[in-house]
Amino acid sequence: MPAVIGLGVWAGPLQATVAAKAPDRTPEQVLALVAQSRVDALSGTIEQTSDLGLPQLPKTGLGATAGAASWVDMLTAPHTARVYLDGPTRMRVQVLDQLAERDLVRSGPDLWTYNSSDNTVTHVTMPARGFKKTLPSALPARVESPDQLARQFLSAVGPTTRVSEGPQSRMAGRAAYHLILSPRTTDTLIGSVDIAVDAATGLPLGVTVLARGQEKPALQVQFTQLSLAAPAADVFRFVPPAGAHVQQLTLPQRPVAHPDAKLPNARLPDAKLPGVRLPGHMIQGETHRVPVTVAGTGWDAVIEAAAGTVSQQMLDNPAVAAMMHPVTGGRALSTSVFTVFVATDGRLFAGAVPLERLQAAAAAR
Amino acid sequence: MLAALAAIPVLIAVVVRLSAHVPPGRGPVFLDRITQNGMFVAATAMVVAIPLFLPLTVGVVAGDTVAGEAGMGTLRYLLVAPAGRIRLLVVKYLGAVVFCVAATLVIVLAGSAIGALLFPVGPVTLLSGDTVGAGQAEWRLVLVAAYVTVSLAGFAAVGLFISTLTDAPVGAMAATVVLAIASQVLDSLPQLAWLHPWLFSHYWFDFADLLRQPVTWDSFGANAVLQAGYLAVFGALAYGRFASKDVLS
Repeated sequence: MPAVIGLGVWAGPLQATVAAKAPDRTPEQVLALVAQSRVDALSGTIEQTSDLGLPQLPKTGLGATAGAASWVDMLTAPHTARVYLDGPTRMRVQVLDQLAERDLVRSGPDLWTYNSSDNTVTHVTMPARGFKKTLPSALPARVESPDQLARQFLSAVGPTTRVSEGPQSRMAGRAAYHLILSPRTTDTLIGSVDIAVDAATGLPLGVTVLARGQEKPALQVQFTQLSLAAPAADVFRFVPPAGAHVQQLTLPQRPVAHPDAKLPNARLPDAKLPGVRLPGHMIQGETHRVPVTVAGTGWDAVIEAAAGTVSQQMLDNPAVAAMMHPVTGGRALSTSVFTVFVATDGRLFAGAVPLERLQAAAAAR
Repeated sequence: MLAALAAIPVLIAVVVRLSAHVPPGRGPVFLDRITQNGMFVAATAMVVAIPLFLPLTVGVVAGDTVAGEAGMGTLRYLLVAPAGRIRLLVVKYLGAVVFCVAATLVIVLAGSAIGALLFPVGPVTLLSGDTVGAGQAEWRLVLVAAYVTVSLAGFAAVGLFISTLTDAPVGAMAATVVLAIASQVLDSLPQLAWLHPWLFSHYWFDFADLLRQPVTWDSFGANAVLQAGYLAVFGALAYGRFASKDVLS
């Protein structure tokens, strides 16, 4: 009798998979599908895991991760987030931590963030135009949505990238195409990027980054649950809780002139390295004058930031210092998919390339 | 033992009442909220009790189930009655589960009572920043008690199995409690991530998912499945051991 039940359980999902197989499409057609996709409302759960070869700090049950170490935690520990979206102006992201939660709620012009571990609220009134770029970076420590991440990768597709297609699969209960982007150059640490695309809507459902020569994903962000129905309206209603510390933030009135300085999240390691961008608070001084230059294009580009761009305080943070190791000419942070090199004179180099390339770039100038 | 568990929220509430303002982000979570809202006493007490006090008391009860009777020399008299060994084992396990229910409810109820006595009670801020009324909050605390009870059910089955291995109740209690601690230590080591979903303590702190808005039931389900697995495996082991055991005392 148990054997029969077991067979029934196994047969169920298999039949569903066979029945729901989507029509075959070429990689170009899938790219077009993504470009045309219009998903206005959704609610879903996103899971992010990373295996960048960095040490992960042990967590105890009672202690909360201290603020400065939180972005280190973002790079090393797995995270779960719930996302709610309804139209262009209403969204909510909940990063589910153990015994804590970080929230971002946007409803019309009001943008709220809430951190349950220190009971703080920030409120920003968004300008009518130009808010879209600044939106995700307002979350204290972000979980990148598969959609944004996938679009960043796809927007970087050019002559340096070979696009192919993998076998269909099911993700978050939906049939998905797999686009596989592989760099044509061998100078980068990234082996390939797998983007899962919902067959019905063209919405990117998941992104998996594989490091060169590694079997386990270096970075994986994907929906584990997804519903395209509009979430209940009260999900987007946020009133600062009684007793919370509310901080009012103001954005600069005029949009910044320089296209590379989408404040407050200055694009340090650039768009070819999504998900590993350094948060805005690491950048000191005037954000619209960040002296960042990019050498090269495509997968093996090297970003250089002048001395003083990244605050010394941030680099001396114990959590950061523990991951940096001394190398010839400075200190370096090496992971399986990107490298950061801080020269002794304070200049910072980063890219999805081996350390030697960064050292060579530093020596060349 | 229930009185000792009830003392945890009372102690927390009295200390917070007598001491100065607690800065946020220090000590166990929710501690800084207590002065604003007494409902948080129960939640704080639960956070404090889960790693040690609850496993300790449940370990004592579960470890005592069979070994305690054997140690006192009463086990063979129980088996003389025409009740059967399975039935004895099931009843003993159910007794341990009833203690789990009582233990978690005592923490929630004592915490709510002392909180209402010493602090103002009002709408409660959930982890998501949303605010719910006091009645809804109390309901969520009862759900938390249910969650923690389920969390301890698998652990109680482990204790029952250990209890059938020995005639010395103290040994069974100690071994059970040590297992709870060891499981939590292993769960905190990221290098053993592959093992974590199999540890019975892995979902213990995910009761916080019931304090989010909207509530996530995923962890409740995952926890229930895991604990049912522990109950099946260690219940079967306990039966296999106890059914064939020579009861000499």
